[in-house]
Amino acid sequence: MKNLVMGATLLAATSLAGVTQAQALTVGVSIPAADHGWTAGIVYHAERVAEKLMEEYDDLNVIVKTSPDPASQANAVQDLAVQGIDALVILPTDPDPLVNAIMQVKMEGTFVTLVDRAPSNNDNSVRDLYVAGNNPALGAVAGEYIAETTPDAKVVVIRGLPIPIDQQRQDGFDAALEGTNVDVMEKQFGNWNRDDAFRVTQDFLTKYPQIDVIWAQDDDMVVGVLQAIQQAGRDDIQYVIGGAGSKDMIKKVMDGDPMIPVDVLYPPAMIGTAMELTVAGMMDQVPVAGSYILDATLVTPENAENYYFPDSPY
Amino acid sequence: MKRISGGAGESMRDDTERGGKAIILETAGLTKSFGPIEVLHGIDLTVCTGEIHAVIGENGAGKSTLMRLLAGNLKPSGGDIRIDGQSVSFANPTEAEARGIVLVHQEILLAPDLTVAQNIFLGREINRGLAVNDRVMNAEALKAVGELGADIDPETPVSRLSIAKRQLVQIARVLLTPHRVVIFDEPTASLTPVETDALLKVMRAIRDRGVAVLFISHRLNEVKEIADTVTVLRDGHKVATHAAGELEPSDMARLMVGRDVSKLYPDRKQDDNGEAVLEIEGFTVPGYAKDASFRLRKGEILGFAGLVGAGRTELMEGILGLRPGRGTVRLKGEAVHFNAPIAALKAGIVYLSEDRKGKGLLLSKDLRTNLTLAALDRFTKALMVDRNAEDKALDAAIRDFDIRTGSKELAAGELSGGNQQKLLLAKMMLLDPEIVIIDEPTRGIDIGNKEQIYKFIAELSKAGHSIIVISSEMPELIGLCDRIVVMRSGEIAGEVTGEGMNENEIVVLATGVAGNRHEMAGAR
Amino acid sequence: MSDSVKSEAGSGFLKNIDLRVMAPFLALALLLVLGTFSNPNFLTVNNLMNVATRSAFIAIIAVGATFVISAGGLDLSVGAMVAFVASLMIMFINAAAIANPYLLLVAAMILAILIGMACGLLNGVITTVGRIEPFIVTLGTMGIYRGLTTWLSQGGAITVRDFEVQQIYRPAYFGTVLGVPVPVIAIIATALIGAFVLYRTRYGRHVIAVGSNEEVARYSGISVRNVRIITYLIQGLCVAVAVLFYVPRLGSTSATTGMLWELQAITAVVVGGTALRGGVGRIWGTICGAFILEIVGNIMLLSNFISEYLIAAIQGAIIIIAMLVQRSLLRRQ
Repeated sequence: MKNLVMGATLLAATSLAGVTQAQALTVGVSIPAADHGWTAGIVYHAERVAEKLMEEYDDLNVIVKTSPDPASQANAVQDLAVQGIDALVILPTDPDPLVNAIMQVKMEGTFVTLVDRAPSNNDNSVRDLYVAGNNPALGAVAGEYIAETTPDAKVVVIRGLPIPIDQQRQDGFDAALEGTNVDVMEKQFGNWNRDDAFRVTQDFLTKYPQIDVIWAQDDDMVVGVLQAIQQAGRDDIQYVIGGAGSKDMIKKVMDGDPMIPVDVLYPPAMIGTAMELTVAGMMDQVPVAGSYILDATLVTPENAENYYFPDSPY
Repeated sequence: MKRISGGAGESMRDDTERGGKAIILETAGLTKSFGPIEVLHGIDLTVCTGEIHAVIGENGAGKSTLMRLLAGNLKPSGGDIRIDGQSVSFANPTEAEARGIVLVHQEILLAPDLTVAQNIFLGREINRGLAVNDRVMNAEALKAVGELGADIDPETPVSRLSIAKRQLVQIARVLLTPHRVVIFDEPTASLTPVETDALLKVMRAIRDRGVAVLFISHRLNEVKEIADTVTVLRDGHKVATHAAGELEPSDMARLMVGRDVSKLYPDRKQDDNGEAVLEIEGFTVPGYAKDASFRLRKGEILGFAGLVGAGRTELMEGILGLRPGRGTVRLKGEAVHFNAPIAALKAGIVYLSEDRKGKGLLLSKDLRTNLTLAALDRFTKALMVDRNAEDKALDAAIRDFDIRTGSKELAAGELSGGNQQKLLLAKMMLLDPEIVIIDEPTRGIDIGNKEQIYKFIAELSKAGHSIIVISSEMPELIGLCDRIVVMRSGEIAGEVTGEGMNENEIVVLATGVAGNRHEMAGAR
Repeated sequence: MSDSVKSEAGSGFLKNIDLRVMAPFLALALLLVLGTFSNPNFLTVNNLMNVATRSAFIAIIAVGATFVISAGGLDLSVGAMVAFVASLMIMFINAAAIANPYLLLVAAMILAILIGMACGLLNGVITTVGRIEPFIVTLGTMGIYRGLTTWLSQGGAITVRDFEVQQIYRPAYFGTVLGVPVPVIAIIATALIGAFVLYRTRYGRHVIAVGSNEEVARYSGISVRNVRIITYLIQGLCVAVAVLFYVPRLGSTSATTGMLWELQAITAVVVGGTALRGGVGRIWGTICGAFILEIVGNIMLLSNFISEYLIAAIQGAIIIIAMLVQRSLLRRQ
């Protein structure tokens, strides 16, 4: 494996130095550092697709940079610009503080692809291409599944952190359940953290003698939720719905675990989609500018295999 | 010796008599109570312009309380304070300052990282527009310090100044306020003789401008030298007010204590024949002491004299492994090297620091914890500290060292200075040491306790312990020791014994200059 | 001054000591009353056991922090240390070098203890021998332990892969002995040992002496350096013990494991009456402080009248109010 990578890099390097040097293209990829499961998935997929692209296109160079916070990401973007890039694929740690750095790159004529997190002025002054998962749909899909499968369910919700993405998901969920018989008893924040989700679930179980469904919004938190249910020895909970598509949860869906019948996709692999599209637009000269919103696909035992990446850390 | 009797009734002549000087400040029947306890009982005090009026008394006699009443830091419980014959009352120090009464605190209350000028003008900065006007303040500060006869760059950070210069800056800061009465609370406590002399000169200069100077001090020779009038307090009562010329230091001491204390030092039988228990050869503590050699005999009390900064404390700390040092140390003929304090303690040498509160005792902890701290392994049984044994040890220490405490549960910080020193002595004696090194055994301790501590030291030597006493009080060394080693600038300048143990000899050795007696005398 | 002497000598003395030590327990009692009104399920054995069990990690870590803080130190790295030790422990289990699952677990536990102590030792040696402020040192090692964990896990989760091992280990967190959850027993055992060492042994006395005045300790022949290093070692040991109960709960760690636990541990210590500046240490107060932190969260969740958005604000306010009440009780004496 390692040899292969080395070979590919070598190949890319020689071809850069060779005849095609004049047309050689460089794509910079700026993403958050792996600080939790989902971003770890982003890093994994960015590196995976970078390798694959460089193998496919001889005269393509892809540089992947990770940054822990907006300030260092702004620096990273500047560094990339100095190195000379033809396209920038960026998943901002926090979009608004980074808008100026991105616009600067774009004004120099660089093709900019923005992924997942959009600034308030998400238009073509900031980016050429926008690729994102569908946050409201992530909530809506979960809500619809609950309304369909268990129309009279008593539900508790474990949210993430109080930030806009979380609110969008919650709004989508609430909208999907409007007018149904599903009873959402309470919502609490679990901070996208397993230990906090465990704690919140324990307290929910203490508070409510009957819970049918728990929507935990994120697969990491589901780990804590399942442990709390098991410890309480309660059998009233019929199932738990997470979100995002971690390999552990996809595996459970694949294996037909009754507690995890489905998962809702908000895949970190979307960074790969963005990179593929960007390179396609530049190398193959097909039009790609615009917005690409990925569906929040409902992962079921039937289609789970397509979304299972056993090598990914997430 | 002329006998002068104490007692409020026999206070000196009528106030207006004092050389025709005008009365500026007086108190009548001034009392102060904390809760149900009255600590000042009806003090009548009269202060005139152009005089230095010393207030003396043992610790706890009420000197500081009286000064704080006058400066507005405390409110009286009864009686009257009058300025120019007019009754006043101060809610806070600012109101007292407005009437011209200012206080120079004993502690240095300056911000170390600010410059001299910034400190002097702290809280009353001169502005130009929105910004502070450093140029003007620096010039004013230079002038203010110059008036005290000092030459200090106003832009120097205070942290770089010596203690004496800091004190001058503090005085300059106080004198910037228009003033008619200046109160000095033990200003010379931490100064060297030369510095003390300079400060006394400043005080005289202030007096000669017609200002009244109130002055608290423990150093009776100093009081004798500078004061015009002396008021003695004892247990919250005014005992007497006399013209300074009528009192010798021994009279002052008697009035303070209320009994005859001419016999301060215990009688000792000297024995020069004991074998050497500790021999030091060529010992160097980098930066403090160089190539020092001396020997200590069994049962001996060896004094160490010298000016502040001569390196006496540092030499001892170096020998005991409390700071880095090198040289030969022989304990009963055997060469040893202490690289950590514990090694010296185990070998039977203890050191009682001059800094009792900072290095000797845990002020917030109870007496028991303090007593057994150094010897805790003796009180440990099966991993556990044996509290019963600790209790017994505390009872014994309180009895043997006459530690006066209201309760055994008090924190060490709540004891008086003298009792703290006794507790520290008891703590170190628990280690059953052969050699005891005591640094400034009676600093800040009143005369009654002093006498007791001298007695303990003499008894220890009689019991076969060898003792080194470091002190800045020459009479103490002369009265107590068999021999005195004198240090100067980190080196051993000489040794005096027998007839040679007099202040003159010591001063010559300590300063390296013959006939320098006057400066040294100021140190007390 | 002299009247305080009198009152301390007399009956006032008992009251004085009691109130200072009792204050956190009074606060806990008040919270229990508050909780009872907030939800009928609050005062059930089940709920209280849940809360006590959950507080085990912070409580056990905070016992170690009590030693460090009493000696005048500080350790900010404990949260990251939990993640680091737990990750290595799980990786060792996954490497499955030993076939017998019971032996494997015992070996993993011993390894965790050793790693925890090594991490603590590192903190202690750098602060004392290097003479660097513990705040900075442990901030640095916090980054190191956290970064190494993220690197080991590649940012994702590290999970016990062997289902059998996990089932064997599970009772360490979820099991009970005579109806008492194992982690609660662990809290009590840790506190008993901690209290014995701090209050009854020579070493404990030395810790308090060093924390209340380093110079006095040095002049009394105490090796300040060794005393301090050992407090960090104890802290590392406590972290490792907490890890022994953390791993069986979820069987996995992630990059967010132990996040901000250092602040919770320090809060528990201070709420329990230990002085941040050193010189005073209260083990049982610390345990009580850990309970208080956990119970505040529990009450918030069980009560129906607080918006989910406001919970953090109210938790912060309750902790400050608890401290204010404590202080004012002390001042009134």
